[in-house]
Amino acid sequence: MSERFPWAQAAAEIDWDAAYSELLPRVYNYFRYRLGNDAQAEDLTSRTFEKAWTQRGRYRRDLAGFSTWLFSIARNVGVDHLRAQRRHLPLEAANHVAAAGTPQDHATHESDLQRLAALLQRLPTREQELVALKYGAEATNRAIAALTGLSESNVGTILHRVVLELRSAW
Amino acid sequence: MEDQFLHDLRRAPSPEFASRLRAGLRAQGTPSRARGRSPAVPWLAAAAAIAMVSFAFLFPEVRVGAAAFLDMFRVVNFAGLRFDPQRIAGLKASGVDFPSLLGQVEPLTEPTAPVSYADASEAGQAAGIQVRLPAWVPPGYTLAETLVTAEHSARVTANTAKLQTVLDALALDDVRLPDGLDGQVATVHLPAIVGMTYRDGDRALHLIEARSAEVSFPAGFDVPALAQAGLRILGLDRDEAYRMANSIDWRNTLVVPVPVDAASFRQVNVAGADGLLIERARGGGMLLWSTGGQMYALSAPLGAEALLEMAQSLQ
Repeated sequence: MSERFPWAQAAAEIDWDAAYSELLPRVYNYFRYRLGNDAQAEDLTSRTFEKAWTQRGRYRRDLAGFSTWLFSIARNVGVDHLRAQRRHLPLEAANHVAAAGTPQDHATHESDLQRLAALLQRLPTREQELVALKYGAEATNRAIAALTGLSESNVGTILHRVVLELRSAW
Repeated sequence: MEDQFLHDLRRAPSPEFASRLRAGLRAQGTPSRARGRSPAVPWLAAAAAIAMVSFAFLFPEVRVGAAAFLDMFRVVNFAGLRFDPQRIAGLKASGVDFPSLLGQVEPLTEPTAPVSYADASEAGQAAGIQVRLPAWVPPGYTLAETLVTAEHSARVTANTAKLQTVLDALALDDVRLPDGLDGQVATVHLPAIVGMTYRDGDRALHLIEARSAEVSFPAGFDVPALAQAGLRILGLDRDEAYRMANSIDWRNTLVVPVPVDAASFRQVNVAGADGLLIERARGGGMLLWSTGGQMYALSAPLGAEALLEMAQSLQ
């Protein structure tokens, strides 16, 4: 029946190829920082994009940027996953996946990521989420504020404190 | 920088993973440049779906024939119906095909592409209606497009097997389908529709005008009984479904399903006519009303006050 209303469907266009290229690394790293696990990051990234595609009719261009909408989905996917796993950082399940760089670089990265995950695990969930959004997803404080409901200044304050804590422990 | 070590942990997804995911999405029909839906589409889809929902409750008990159509459904009123979208999604996921739930749908006319008109009155002539234009639109909006979608008819041959299967699967054993339904035929006529889009940059509002949709069906048919089955499937409890099924005038009331978690609805007055105002939780809404034998739908990223003001300014 919706084919009868094509004028409405033409109101907003999404360049999915461009969105995919730009946002895939950001979503993937959001989950890496959130979970500390590359294999799970791939899995949840896939779920996020598949959900975004199947739910594309719900995207409202006037209410949110596409990346904000996509990260809303990603966060829900992450919450569902963590709830199902009943743990926040499954470090023991970390797997190696193919990636650019030498094996030594890869191993160092993996080790550092796990180290960060261990440090993040000591923090409240909200702080873990902010770090994943800021450094994994490379979101601006304003975008993080829109996603989390915090004020932009509050986001900045919390992140500043968290970074100092992580820096001192690193 | 204090936080450089946090940036340094980023890594690009492996090319294999990126390719695999892209291929998977494309396999689901992802176009290289797909059209997203506008803010109005869920509501426009709902407006279209009301036909299917309401029509689904209106099946004849006698075979099609020259003298079979003794009564007619036309839209005069609108009524909102809350439903749980997750319940519907679950039913669809389990294989329930709602359009064919009550029988076989056979198009009597081939769908054609909408035709664009430069002038609203020309569009009205093409659709066979007198198009009314708003004397007031929100500042910044201008009429950008006028399209006419041709009329369309379909024949529905009832088959309650699927419906009974769904009722059984949901353990709705309090519902009894009317006897003598299988094999009976109804005719649905969807009129030509004039759709006007007003734009202000990326924002768009949609005004739709059409004659009432019609369904031919026999007099005396126990519509409330079938409606009760539909309402139970949609999630209403037994008492609520019975009360609603027996309180609605199914000959002239178009039921609009409203997702319970996304919107609210209320009856409003639109220049003397009863209307249904649906307000989305995230902003914007849709107004449906009928007057002078025509249906109107206005969907926009506007508040209730602006929607009503625009609707009441039609002339």
